[in-house]
Amino acid sequence: MTGLNQILQRARRSDRGAYWFILPYVIFFCAFVAYPLVFSLILVFHRWNIVTPMEWIGLKNFDRLIGDVLFYRSLLNTLTFLAIHIPLQVVVALALALLLNAGVRGRGLFRALYFLPVVVSGVAVTILWQQIYSYDYGILNNILHAAGLPPVPWLVDPRLAMPSIAIMATWKNVGIYIVLFLVGLQNIPRDLYEAANLDGASPFKQFRYVTLPMLNPTIVVIVVLSTIGGFSLFIEPYVLTGGGPMQSTLSGMLYIYNQAFSFGHMGYAATLGFVYALVILGVVVLQRRVIESEMSS
Amino acid sequence: MDVSASFRRVLPVALCAGALLAGCSEQRGSGPRGSSGVVLTYWPAPNPQEILLADSLVRVWNRLHPEIRVEMQPIPVSISTEEVLLAAIAGKTTPDVCSNIWPGALHDYTQAGGLVRLDAFPDFDSVMSLRTPRELLERFRVADGHFYEVPWKTNPLMMFYNRRLFREAGVEGVPSTYGGYLAAGEKVVTHRYEGGTADVWMGDRDVRPIWWQRLFDFYPFYIAASGGRTLLTAGRPSFGDSSAAGVFAFFRECYGRKYFPRTYFQGGDPFLLEKKATHFSGPWEVAAIRKFAPQMDFGVAPVPVPDDHRGPVFTYGDYKDISIFSTTTHPMEAWEFVKFLVSAEHDLLLLRICDQIPVRGDLLENPLFAGYFRENPAMTEFARQAVYTRGMDDAPDLKEIFDAIAQEYESCAVYGRVGPSEAIREAVGRTNLIVEWNR
Repeated sequence: MTGLNQILQRARRSDRGAYWFILPYVIFFCAFVAYPLVFSLILVFHRWNIVTPMEWIGLKNFDRLIGDVLFYRSLLNTLTFLAIHIPLQVVVALALALLLNAGVRGRGLFRALYFLPVVVSGVAVTILWQQIYSYDYGILNNILHAAGLPPVPWLVDPRLAMPSIAIMATWKNVGIYIVLFLVGLQNIPRDLYEAANLDGASPFKQFRYVTLPMLNPTIVVIVVLSTIGGFSLFIEPYVLTGGGPMQSTLSGMLYIYNQAFSFGHMGYAATLGFVYALVILGVVVLQRRVIESEMSS
Repeated sequence: MDVSASFRRVLPVALCAGALLAGCSEQRGSGPRGSSGVVLTYWPAPNPQEILLADSLVRVWNRLHPEIRVEMQPIPVSISTEEVLLAAIAGKTTPDVCSNIWPGALHDYTQAGGLVRLDAFPDFDSVMSLRTPRELLERFRVADGHFYEVPWKTNPLMMFYNRRLFREAGVEGVPSTYGGYLAAGEKVVTHRYEGGTADVWMGDRDVRPIWWQRLFDFYPFYIAASGGRTLLTAGRPSFGDSSAAGVFAFFRECYGRKYFPRTYFQGGDPFLLEKKATHFSGPWEVAAIRKFAPQMDFGVAPVPVPDDHRGPVFTYGDYKDISIFSTTTHPMEAWEFVKFLVSAEHDLLLLRICDQIPVRGDLLENPLFAGYFRENPAMTEFARQAVYTRGMDDAPDLKEIFDAIAQEYESCAVYGRVGPSEAIREAVGRTNLIVEWNR
């Protein structure tokens, strides 16, 4: 109580007018962050399908989650997606950023082109890729056929479907990470390269021992953002595959969506949501530690 | 600057404006509006034919009943009508009357207390007995022993076939069994990958594991193969039999022999483009053919059944019904409007505008409908089939159960990874789990 009193006293001493300025955000935060969070937490212990009254079921949703093979499958699929998507995203974004930073002609145009998919609606992009990946009528398989190669079941083979989605997601999001890398590259002091040149470092060694370590904070940000974005994988499998073939693209978010809005299990969906939030937190903390220790060594 | 003083001056104005705006947005259909009498809101399905039908009917009603005005508004477009209606029930923004009630979702609506009990109206029995055979009507009675929907129309799932493609391939007669269908498929399908595409498929189904897609393949085929059984008995799965495994095995052959593509089509219906020889669909397809492929020589037949099948061929009826929502403040007037919608004259309008089959017992005998069926012989097949249809079980878990079936259908039928019996065992096992979780 003493702590609370101190806070209240400090508040009374400060400029009261300032509170009116933060009020809009406080209202927004309460309505769209705090209230849903608290309500979700309440839902975890209930059975509720929106229209009927809530029914208290204690820890039954957790009991169900422990025995739910589709939960583990969706978690494994999401981690598989991350394992393909994040390295691909970092490598492609870094490579393109290095090219754009090297002063190629029409740099502004290329930057705009790479950024274009970021601002296009996810559903529109996914429908476009549907036409590219289609097994019997797709653009890619038509090109392969013209080259005398057999068609590839991009979305209908359980082993290929998730990598195909990861490639698509990389194409969609790479623009934003190129911009982040460009900012990082332009913040590296030129004198480091000059010193490396004087020491006789080759371009590869300059990249390895100057560029990469200096980009460490940017890489951490990109990996964390990609991880959080990757855990939100929803539109692509929802539109492209419906979670198939053979549940190989059933992502965590798609599974939560199905439970909540297709089957009306709001309580179970909230439980899945909380567990996923904990998993994301764990993965991000782990990633950060690994990347920082790798970079420092 | 004294911010709190300014805020105090602005606050009353803001509150007044908010109250005014809230008042403007609050526009409930039900209830008297000024001195103009009763106003009812009516939600039909949001497809162009049904909107046209609803518009015509509402115009006639409003002319005949100036004291009970009906306002028509198509169901807001969403992924499914059921989601919209559930959201409307939750938000207490349901209309007075809706004519796109899927019986599979009725359990949710009644559990939420969202619907008016129709058999509480004194003339319910007499109205219904004039239109729908008793045995058929009984299938719409829910677990509490009451009726909450008027069976309005049925779209029996049947097999459309392209006569020209059959003729060119040398297929004689219409395949009525699994063996006959596969033999026809052998003749029809020519996998010439010229330009990377097959020329003609025997059929196709959306391969994605989406629960409602199984209403158009597994479910009608299971009803047909089992002689008219549905998925559940007393709330427990009863489809773990050889009929269900036979349906999986049949579709597995269709995909395995490459008579069906392992993809789904975008940007055009391959049946209308005459790129596939058969198509499992309802009577709405007739209007689509008339509009987009008027040159097509097509026929309609019941879905194929196992080679040793005896007796009539049942199918899924894809019923859509009419209900009154409990938010109405004028149930008697709403019931009068419902009776108006299902009169014989308006059932004829339903046939003429929408090419959908009213749930009537006298379709092929009543002279009122004779002219329509003479002009539309394909629709006669649907009218005959309508007697042999089944709807959905009255259960809260249907979507989840169909999802479990869709997952197994995909791994067994589409990709051939699991045997049919094992796949059905898995689906029944998962259904048992679902039922346990949800009770």
